[in-house]
Amino acid sequence: MSLPAAEVAADFRDALQDLRLNSRPEISNLTLIAKENTEYAEAISTELENHIRSTRPEWKLPALYVLDSIVKNVGTPYTVYIGRNLYRTFMDAYLVMAQDTRKAMEGLLRTWKMPVPESMDPRPVFPADVTRDIENALTKIRAAVQQQVQRPQHALPPRPPTNVAWRDTSTPPQNLPRYAAPNDPRARPSFPPTTPQYGPPLHTATPPMQYQQPQQQAQPMSSIDLADLKSEVTQLISTTQTMFAHNHADLALRTKLQALLSLKQILDTQTLPPQQLEAVRQQIRALAPPPAPSTPVYPPQHTLPTHFQPNLPSNFPPVTAPPNSAPPNVAQLLAGFRPPMQQTPQPASTPNPPAFNLVDLLKRVSSPAQSSSIPAPAPFQLPFQGFPPPNSTPMPIPQAAAPAPSSTPTASLATLLAQFNKPAGAPPMSQPMPMQSTPVPQFPPQPNTAPPTLGSAEWLLKALGSVPGATPAISTPIASQQMARQSSAPFNVMDQIELTTVSMKKPRLHLISRLYEAKPNICATCGRRFESTSEGKEKKARHMDWHFKVKDPDAAKRGVHRSWYMPEKEWIEYKEVDETSPNHTSNDSNNSTSSGAKPKKQAKDRYVSVPQDVALQQAPCPICQEKFDTVWSVEANDFVWMDALSVGGKVYHATCFEEYSKGAGIAMPGTPDSVLGKRRAEDAASVNGEGKKVRAF
Amino acid sequence: MISLPGLNLASQPIEPLNVPTSTATRTQDLSANTEYRFEVSFSRTLTVKLQSGTAEFFGTELAPATTYTFQGTKGAIFTWHGCKLEIGGEVESDYVAEETPMMSCANLHFALENLRDKSVSSGSVEMGPRVLVVGPENSGKTSLIKTMTSYAVKSGRQPMVVNLDPRQGMLSVPGSFSAAAYSSIVDIEEGWGSSPISGPSPIPVKMPLVYHYGLKDPEEGKAFKPLVTRMALAVTSRLEEDNASKQAGFIIDSSGAISQGKNGVYENIEHIVSEFSVNVLITLGSERLYSDLARKFSNQVRDPSESVSVIRLEKSGGCVDRSEEYMKALRHAQIREYFFGKGDETLAPSSQMADFGDLNLFKLVQESDNAEYRPGDYDASSSPIYEKITPSAALQNKLLAITTASPNERQEVIRDSSIRGYIYVADVDEAKKKVKLLSPQPGQTPGNAMVLGSWPEDIPGLVS
Repeated sequence: MSLPAAEVAADFRDALQDLRLNSRPEISNLTLIAKENTEYAEAISTELENHIRSTRPEWKLPALYVLDSIVKNVGTPYTVYIGRNLYRTFMDAYLVMAQDTRKAMEGLLRTWKMPVPESMDPRPVFPADVTRDIENALTKIRAAVQQQVQRPQHALPPRPPTNVAWRDTSTPPQNLPRYAAPNDPRARPSFPPTTPQYGPPLHTATPPMQYQQPQQQAQPMSSIDLADLKSEVTQLISTTQTMFAHNHADLALRTKLQALLSLKQILDTQTLPPQQLEAVRQQIRALAPPPAPSTPVYPPQHTLPTHFQPNLPSNFPPVTAPPNSAPPNVAQLLAGFRPPMQQTPQPASTPNPPAFNLVDLLKRVSSPAQSSSIPAPAPFQLPFQGFPPPNSTPMPIPQAAAPAPSSTPTASLATLLAQFNKPAGAPPMSQPMPMQSTPVPQFPPQPNTAPPTLGSAEWLLKALGSVPGATPAISTPIASQQMARQSSAPFNVMDQIELTTVSMKKPRLHLISRLYEAKPNICATCGRRFESTSEGKEKKARHMDWHFKVKDPDAAKRGVHRSWYMPEKEWIEYKEVDETSPNHTSNDSNNSTSSGAKPKKQAKDRYVSVPQDVALQQAPCPICQEKFDTVWSVEANDFVWMDALSVGGKVYHATCFEEYSKGAGIAMPGTPDSVLGKRRAEDAASVNGEGKKVRAF
Repeated sequence: MISLPGLNLASQPIEPLNVPTSTATRTQDLSANTEYRFEVSFSRTLTVKLQSGTAEFFGTELAPATTYTFQGTKGAIFTWHGCKLEIGGEVESDYVAEETPMMSCANLHFALENLRDKSVSSGSVEMGPRVLVVGPENSGKTSLIKTMTSYAVKSGRQPMVVNLDPRQGMLSVPGSFSAAAYSSIVDIEEGWGSSPISGPSPIPVKMPLVYHYGLKDPEEGKAFKPLVTRMALAVTSRLEEDNASKQAGFIIDSSGAISQGKNGVYENIEHIVSEFSVNVLITLGSERLYSDLARKFSNQVRDPSESVSVIRLEKSGGCVDRSEEYMKALRHAQIREYFFGKGDETLAPSSQMADFGDLNLFKLVQESDNAEYRPGDYDASSSPIYEKITPSAALQNKLLAITTASPNERQEVIRDSSIRGYIYVADVDEAKKKVKLLSPQPGQTPGNAMVLGSWPEDIPGLVS
């Protein structure tokens, strides 16, 4: 198990251990963990199943509520992982429960047969066949209990109806140590609550598969028409069925049909992420041309308990009751309800393997298609991939090339789909790819794979992963003018500072000069330091100007008040202003260089402080009837309306008024309402004029 | 006295009238690498003026010949080079400390500068350092962050600071979460500085983005994580727009409560780390916290670009336990400052009346710990966040957060919406169905959804 999965699972387990009561916050919390770690869904599901199985009976119900909460709130992939063992998880717990908690469990089951409340999805929480098995078993038990009621027995566990005479032994028969539990779980401390086993050990705990869900990093793909896909599958099924009708003996057909039906069921009941759908679709496309069933050689088949319980009308031998006379117990009875594939392991060489790994199946079904020189299925490929599609020459896949299915004890949707991620036409020598660990989706390895080059999909993905972005090898340092100076300072001294606890304690007093002596010119008013270069002097001059401006003797008279905070969107787009940066005290050069646009700009650069009067605040520009954009102006130290003009008590867009005044021959008034007194004309021109949506720089 | 630029004639701050001003001053000599630590109560003032040498207050340099006034402050003035201070007023306690953690702070700063330089030389493709500071209450988190911020500003950067500690506000009132970029000097007297006001401000204002949390503790309630996520989204979006901030990265202040953990699991810390892609995690004080987190994050390295450096810094000897009484006074001072300003920056909030019907009030639903999970409950996390309430006398002396969301929005939207500000309920007249409000700004009371939290607590007597 890769580390993160193990760790997440361990965290989840720890949290589960503490869950002893039906506590909503704790359950929500666990659900949240599950929700945030869907990439480790399998590990978490396994943890949860193990916990439900092994914890004390009175703590099972809260754990089941966790299960319930997860499948309802998170859904796939948990429904898949939990669904495949649900029968067992549920029944194991049910059998050791006290009567009243059983009621609660039955209530749970009822909700699982229904769609998730308030959800758009009309499908039930768990697929019908999963719940049906449990339902059947419960009915049996209830019937048995009914019978039981007639017996004057002390609180006895529900027992199945039996055709063998009831032996009223005080101890359960030795050969059946996992006899159903008495009603009060606390009364049986000697009873190990662990893993009651029924019948053949079919459900050996599945080694947690490490499977990084491909869609985690996947880009949203062009949406796939699910309905289309479904109809494709349906069509394929019907053709296959027809063929199967003609040729009953054909194993390949039969397995294919089985696989298709399972697939259809998955499609019908689960919500698959688009990428997986795409993968499925690719595979289906590949299957679509009628395969020429050239007697494929099957590798020795292991019996793999499939959990995709194919609901095929199968002609498997019905399960018969154990022949010997030991009193049948619930467990055995229940085992009878299991789908028929839980037979004793077949000899490896059996020509008629009763259970198939779906992965295996699809793969096998597809390989004859390939060998019969039908174009190879298009390898699964993300649309934005930069490289050319892998060579399209059909390439028969030797069985060996496929990851040995026998090493996978359980068929799972995960493996199935992970399988699709692999290049269908990959060269045979390609290693079975690790399905876990790498956070980057697996791409078909190129015949001679080079490290991700610029523009390759892998690179692209990384780049798109925004945050700590990948560094393109070619990026030339584009230092912003302000920062360039900083970085040009001697690095080597600082390079020694590692980000470690020990390194932080080393005295490096020589560095301090960078905070002080490097900038000897200090502002006496606020303590800000400037460099002694001519640029530093200019900055200081502007800084002093700013100090002067903000010392506005009239400010107090205006009734200064706290402004509202910026809304989120504006804040995201807002750029901080440095009062020392040149562009805001003078942009004469700007104006002269763009003299053509000068008058326009001046109009746009006009502003008024946002009026105090509420009516005026709401009023739009009387000319264009549009509202004003409120921005923060450092110049005015206030929120202002840019491109605005106050004329006769009304506020107009300066540009609107300009056009209007041109026509009417009215002179443009100067910018009124500035806080800044004599400097205002210059200031008004200096507010960075980059169009109407001027932010305060 | 007229103050002219360049003439070093800063005006003396007007002394508050209620304080008996002692005109007597004394000089305090500090040798290099020592600091002068002081505690001033809210009813006294301390004035400090730098006479010679250099000195800094949590990283921000004291201007020569400017008198700084402290009130209700526990702080320290440090000098790298030695200095002479002129000190006036009264303190609860003061002393000179020889041992300070400032060297570690400086080292940390220059190590972060390294990362910022890397970001610059990558052409802003890489993001600068993403720092999270954790540690128990009163371990000096905010002080460290202030120092880091000041140093970064001094080095010409524009760092972003994110406050996720509801106990103390940053540029806002307690109970809020805020983020702001610091391009200008951090104010010495006002803590973090001031959010925008309608007039000029002697220290450049800071532009915070503010969300309302409304609870005392990140561990209670379920709004913490979604708000962290929302904040992370906004901050990262901003950084993508703004290269100067992206290069400088950000520093996150956290509440002491999230550093307690449950059995060595620090869920909220992990959540913040993953949402903000934190790559430098600083633990203050607690050895246990450091070792737990170091183990957790050293194991998680999958991709070098995702690795998290966990560093432990010593708690400063100057950290004092701040009594609940002091914290309460501090909170009230912050709220008062929001409406009325501080020092010579006096603000005029507006008092207004509103009908009950004008207010769209939402109250945080307190989650009780013994709530049961009901099977068939659809969404364990979608139980209502708020309940709509009508004004009542219980509302008096409360702060209401004015969101940017319309009252008809879904509750999640209201929860995740940033806020425009706070208004204070001065009086409730149940008979006339009228509320007297104190609003920072004149004009109509906005019809947006308003959220009432349980934190900060009642503030009686804000308006007399």
